[in-house]
Amino acid sequence: MTCEQIDLGHWRLSFTEPEAGFLIAVMARLGKQYQEDVVRMPPSLRAYWQGTITRGGVADKDDLKESQEVLAEARTELRAERLVLVETWMREFELTEERNPWKVEISSAERDEFVAMLNDRRMLVALELGITEEDMEADLGRISNEARRAGVLEIDVLGHFILVMLGPQIYRP
Amino acid sequence: MSKVESMRGAKILTPRRRDIEAAVAQRSMVTVAAKPGTQALPDIDVEKSLKEAFARGWSVIVWNDPVNLMDYVVYVFKAVLKMNEQDASRHMWEVHQKGKSVVALETRERSELIVHRLRGFGLNATMEQA
Repeated sequence: MTCEQIDLGHWRLSFTEPEAGFLIAVMARLGKQYQEDVVRMPPSLRAYWQGTITRGGVADKDDLKESQEVLAEARTELRAERLVLVETWMREFELTEERNPWKVEISSAERDEFVAMLNDRRMLVALELGITEEDMEADLGRISNEARRAGVLEIDVLGHFILVMLGPQIYRP
Repeated sequence: MSKVESMRGAKILTPRRRDIEAAVAQRSMVTVAAKPGTQALPDIDVEKSLKEAFARGWSVIVWNDPVNLMDYVVYVFKAVLKMNEQDASRHMWEVHQKGKSVVALETRERSELIVHRLRGFGLNATMEQA
């Protein structure tokens, strides 16, 4: 995968065929997750999709309920917006004839959303499988559970995609 | 080459989010009254400003997690909080090493918006009254 800036505010992404296939599979899963009813989700995922507003570490105070509701509502709207973007990416892939490499041009705002969606998937995989810091730092071959190993691999590959999109970010004195 | 035309401008501002963002924008507006031959001074409602200053009692906290990349966190701080690279990196390291960092101290409405945006990028952000 490569990401190059065409001009101020526009970017060109290029994916090899396997990368594009992987990305579309990720998008398909993301699409399902964006459609899923938050109420039916396990607590860890529900917490991810709802914000927390606390005072002195307590979240259930009556006067904070309105803020909590506003935040939860905004989060629901965000999922609907991202679902539209997922569907657009998938439709573009279906319509394109040249897939090796698959090239896509996007604006900076779309780049932000795309990076955030990739990160959504990383977070959701980690929450679903209960992936810990230890898992993330472990040698893949040492993770005996197959689902967790696949999850860490997916998180790593998506992390690579994100880093390619961002370029170097960290200031080191 | 395929072009994702339909994604341009696809960001949808739903009524609720519009209300929140408009309220925040209105709060940050300062009008300038200029008379001919005089220096323009900001026309500030002192009482309102004081109220707002005291209302800035909500802190936005970002918590550490095992998945978000350091570079990504810096990127999000720059994008959402308009931090420069140095400040963004400093807060990122604080999250990484101490488990959390207070990244903003704002009014309740503004904090709600910041938490929403940070969570939109997948960071574990909460708000708490100071």
